[in-house]
Amino acid sequence: MKKIVGKIAGLVRQWEGPQTDDLVLRPGEFGLGKIPARLTPDDTTTMVCGYCSTGCGLNVHLKDGRAINLSADTHYPVNLGMACPKGWEALTPLAAPDRATTPLLRNETTGELEPVDWDRALLLFCERFKEIKRNHGPESVAFLSTGQIVTEEMAFLGALFKFGMGFVHCDSNTRQCMATSAVAYKQSFGFDAPPYSYNDFEESDVLLFIGSNPCIAHPILWQRVLRNRHNPEIIVIDPRATETAMAATQHFAILPKSDLVLLYGLANILIASHWIRRDYIDAHTTGFEDFANFVAQFTPEVVSGLTGISVDRLWRLAQTIGDGKRVSFWWTMGVNQGHESTRTAQAVINLALMTGNMGRPGTGANSITGQCNAMGSRLFANVTGILGGYDFLNTVHRKHVAEQLRIDPAAIPNRNSRSYDQIVDDIEAGKIKGLWVVATNASHSWINQSRFNETLKKLDFLVVQDLYSTTETARRADLVLPAAGWGEKEGTLINSERRIGLVKRVTRAPGQALADFNIFKLIAQYWGCGEMFREWSSPEAVFQILKRVSSGQPCEIDGIKDYRMLDDCGGVQWPCPVSIDAAPPATERRLFEDGRFYHADQRARFLFEAPRPNPEPADVDFPFILLTGRGTSSQWHTQTRTGKSDVLRKLYPENVYVEINPIDAERLGIAPNAPVEIASRRAQIEATAFVTNSVQPGQLFLPMHYPSVNELTFPAFDPYSRQPSYKACAVRLTAKSARL
Amino acid sequence: MTTLEGESRTLIDDLLAEQQQLTAVQRFSRRHDSGGLPAQERYYRALLPVEKPRFGEQYAFGVDLDACTGCKACVSACHSLNGLDEEEVWRNVGFIHGGDSDHAYQQTITTACHHCADPACLNGCPVKAYEKDEATGIVRHLDDQCIGCQYCVLKCPYDVPKYSKKRGIVRKCDMCYNRLAANEAPACVQACPTGAISIRIVNKAELTAGIHPEDQLLPDTFTSDYTKPSTLYSTRKTIPANARASDAFSLRIEHAHLPLILMLVLTQLSAGLFAVLALIGILGTAPVFEISKAPLALIAFAILNAGLAVSVLHLGRPLGAWRAFLGLRTSWMSREIFAFGIFAGAAAACTVCCVWEPLSGLVPILRQVELFIRPAAFAMPLAVFTAVLALLGVYCSAMIYIDTQRPFWKRELTIPRFFGTTILLGGSGAASILAWLNPAGQTDLIAFLLTGAALLRVALFTWESQNFTADLADTEELNHRSALTIWSLRRPVLWLFCALSGGAVLASFIGGAHWRGAMIAFALSFGAHLVERYFYFTAVVAPRMPGGVAA
Repeated sequence: MKKIVGKIAGLVRQWEGPQTDDLVLRPGEFGLGKIPARLTPDDTTTMVCGYCSTGCGLNVHLKDGRAINLSADTHYPVNLGMACPKGWEALTPLAAPDRATTPLLRNETTGELEPVDWDRALLLFCERFKEIKRNHGPESVAFLSTGQIVTEEMAFLGALFKFGMGFVHCDSNTRQCMATSAVAYKQSFGFDAPPYSYNDFEESDVLLFIGSNPCIAHPILWQRVLRNRHNPEIIVIDPRATETAMAATQHFAILPKSDLVLLYGLANILIASHWIRRDYIDAHTTGFEDFANFVAQFTPEVVSGLTGISVDRLWRLAQTIGDGKRVSFWWTMGVNQGHESTRTAQAVINLALMTGNMGRPGTGANSITGQCNAMGSRLFANVTGILGGYDFLNTVHRKHVAEQLRIDPAAIPNRNSRSYDQIVDDIEAGKIKGLWVVATNASHSWINQSRFNETLKKLDFLVVQDLYSTTETARRADLVLPAAGWGEKEGTLINSERRIGLVKRVTRAPGQALADFNIFKLIAQYWGCGEMFREWSSPEAVFQILKRVSSGQPCEIDGIKDYRMLDDCGGVQWPCPVSIDAAPPATERRLFEDGRFYHADQRARFLFEAPRPNPEPADVDFPFILLTGRGTSSQWHTQTRTGKSDVLRKLYPENVYVEINPIDAERLGIAPNAPVEIASRRAQIEATAFVTNSVQPGQLFLPMHYPSVNELTFPAFDPYSRQPSYKACAVRLTAKSARL
Repeated sequence: MTTLEGESRTLIDDLLAEQQQLTAVQRFSRRHDSGGLPAQERYYRALLPVEKPRFGEQYAFGVDLDACTGCKACVSACHSLNGLDEEEVWRNVGFIHGGDSDHAYQQTITTACHHCADPACLNGCPVKAYEKDEATGIVRHLDDQCIGCQYCVLKCPYDVPKYSKKRGIVRKCDMCYNRLAANEAPACVQACPTGAISIRIVNKAELTAGIHPEDQLLPDTFTSDYTKPSTLYSTRKTIPANARASDAFSLRIEHAHLPLILMLVLTQLSAGLFAVLALIGILGTAPVFEISKAPLALIAFAILNAGLAVSVLHLGRPLGAWRAFLGLRTSWMSREIFAFGIFAGAAAACTVCCVWEPLSGLVPILRQVELFIRPAAFAMPLAVFTAVLALLGVYCSAMIYIDTQRPFWKRELTIPRFFGTTILLGGSGAASILAWLNPAGQTDLIAFLLTGAALLRVALFTWESQNFTADLADTEELNHRSALTIWSLRRPVLWLFCALSGGAVLASFIGGAHWRGAMIAFALSFGAHLVERYFYFTAVVAPRMPGGVAA
């Protein structure tokens, strides 16, 4: 009877059933706690994330060797059990329906991209590029690659292109993000060497962020900041009241592109107030006296006028730095993407040097990198320097690398490559006729986009190698090569703190997509230089080659035995010489603890130069300064991947919006959420107005992820790093008549 | 050159094969945590209460706003660790902002179900598919009990329950009930890089007593006295008085719920027809009632059934709808279903009595019944009874929406609309039917009904336009955003509404005497009510927690 009653009650009120079962959680083993029963793994493995340079460890849940889910890795020393939404969703974009699954060739009659087999694609690739080379010489074909593929693939691409195929000019999208830091470090320290470890976030008593919004751009690094137990002063220097500025203890909303003046002004106050470490300066640097004389002109009054920061606040800022025992200086794209960015980065470095905030826990002049493998690109891509951090112009270097690679030294070009912007100029001038774009979406991301896309039309042959056949660039290609993505191949990535982490093959690539590594291997064979790369048989074999080549360099890694060791250690930071005392090497290590830098005299340089005004200032016709930058933590660059996840798409605005100060909005009669038009001298776009105090009057902000934004940007470049200045151009804003 | 010498397999073949091999497990060491506590426990231990809730207490989410900086990891971790559907999220992150240029204020807000002390979802559910767990206070949704009526979606002022078309049911955050039971932290708590989300214990009585009528969780959120949300948002900063949700000015077309539009208009038309029949019975002469009763009752009954049938299309899982009696104590949805149930029963009986004479003429065996009772004699009282039940049903329909507390659906706006539709369509519908059946007769009655309907149409239109223009002009008006939504996003439909209303009045006066004119007037009027109900659903502002930039 009771049973019947129970049964009837169960029918009336169903507590269980198939829908309920769908969400049942069971203990997942492997230390996972409870997880959905239908996603129970039979194994787990750790690999680093393939989005940004933080380099988080992700714990991939495997079933029959294939990834079915993932979570943040509890043990990985970078992220300590956390990940941002892009990391959590890292597997989703791999399953997108618009993955390129076969090579695609443009049908000249229909104008459509049509599937071809690999053999045909590779024959054509070699035939067309060889033909161009034959007719126009070795400078007539270039590649533009990426900070998003593994180091071994970058090295293979660079070596194949320059040593095997015999071309000269190539660059990478790291030009857009990290070129400035690389050049600044190289000139100041003698090598491209970010000195810090993430532990420094936790050890500082003053953290100064300039042009950096880690809350959104590097959320896991912000996690490390909040783990700081020293009740630190957090200073943010940024024209916008960003999420990070809101979380800071002091925010300085300087006028756009007044950063260099501000930094020189701070140096002046610090010197004048004797808030400097004379002993450190004398022992470890050169050029300080000249620098001190130079900055004397940047009096607080002058600086206040140019930056919009009151004299009182300038003093307070300088004093906070001067009083700090362990001050760390952090910069990101706000500094790197400027018309005088190298000197700006060096002005940050100068502050750290003169206050002796270098080589101790919680200190450093620290560039936070953008892409997951920007550092791999800087050191091993064979683009701006020979792989391993060598110099193309140096005969000894060329000979050394040739010996290590067992190739003819003559195969190594004795001149530098043209930079990204110069390659674009050369295409426009008709000097470069063939272009190979690997894992980057230049048609969306390059500055002054419309001109770039017009320029592409001048090419005889454009090859795009990417995960997706739908990127703005792939849609313009003559030939698309389908690439396997992160998680579908092996290799290493080097993060912001110089940590080399491992990527593994945990899921199958769709169709005939191949790892970039294997595409390069095939091209080597089809080009006829397969013999030269006989030793480059697998990513791990190339890792061993890179160890050999970089031995004795500041970035040496011969102490890392193999991939297994990287896996066991939770990544290893360079340098890791064979002689490293501890085995395994310490988890977090910083550079310059002994105060010895990489210049021949072991001293760091004070480098400086008179500031120049923003090349496109606001004027009567274009009265606003347009800032660009990251929109949300769930968006990545041109969105070729983040746009493929339903979850991530829910976490950012679907269409482009522009941040406008309420004072400007009222003056121009722009209601919140109203449609507006933004015009620069180069283009006009539409956006939705977001009226907010986070931008100052006279300034606008557009998130870079939306395709129209770079139609507006002004092509100014830093003369040393050739990095584009995305962060400031003049625009006009008008209300658009109401819909309907 | 394309083939490796001496082999039939090419390098391409080899590499394509290699690409499909998954070797991570074989190649790399496995560092497993074996047994014991979940690895993440070291990070979340401090974020969970030491003890379980005692009697009168419940779990609540605690959110330290000063630590929340908008990384949104909580959203995707919840999605991944709970195995949600591809597009499904149980948490969201928006922000509020304000201040001035010198002191800009911005604060990201992470939000999930507030596991309210007086959950509106639970109160509204017609089939008791919600349970407020006695021991933990967690508001759980019984997925297999749900019939997919989506009333909880309308009831919740925080936009928490989400309907899955694929599944035909609603799902929502259960505070990782299973994890908490095993002393594990909910997914969002485990995944927050800055430890901003915690689980706290609150006393239910204190929570309820502490909420004053105007209290809100945060700016631009619904007043808390409606559902008594338990989430504890805390900040050391002062939220500026001008802080608004970042999507406070966004305009959004809400779901039109076509089956509900049809169901409401058809059932109200039917109710109106029965009301007219009852009125004729009470006030009219016997011959008029005798002539009118059969066609009016038959058509009204048919329309009622069409309305009820179409309403079933709205349900994700209609087979469970029989359980609707479970919610009678708290749910106006249950009450509406119940009221329409007895209305339909009474209408069936009334219709049989009204058509008894022709029916028993066709089926002579029915005459046997008259040995015991004379059904035809009950036509009039049953018509009155049915009309009363019908109006009760319409009232329940109105209360469904009024009970959501949404300003655009408030009593003063819903009652006139729903009963306006009932009377107006009932009158003009009855006039058309009578004119069509008997063009020569009852001209006074037809004229009365038509004129009445036309005048009422003018009155309703005037009332709607006054409301609309006032709402549109004044940004402070509660329904300003609803009016602006119509004006900005659906202006052509607004003109259509005006045209249909005007046309209906014109047709009544010009062609009213003829049955065709009456028909046209009715059809235009019917169209106007469909459009009015379309706006009723699409232009309502659904309250929710602060969202992101709406673009």
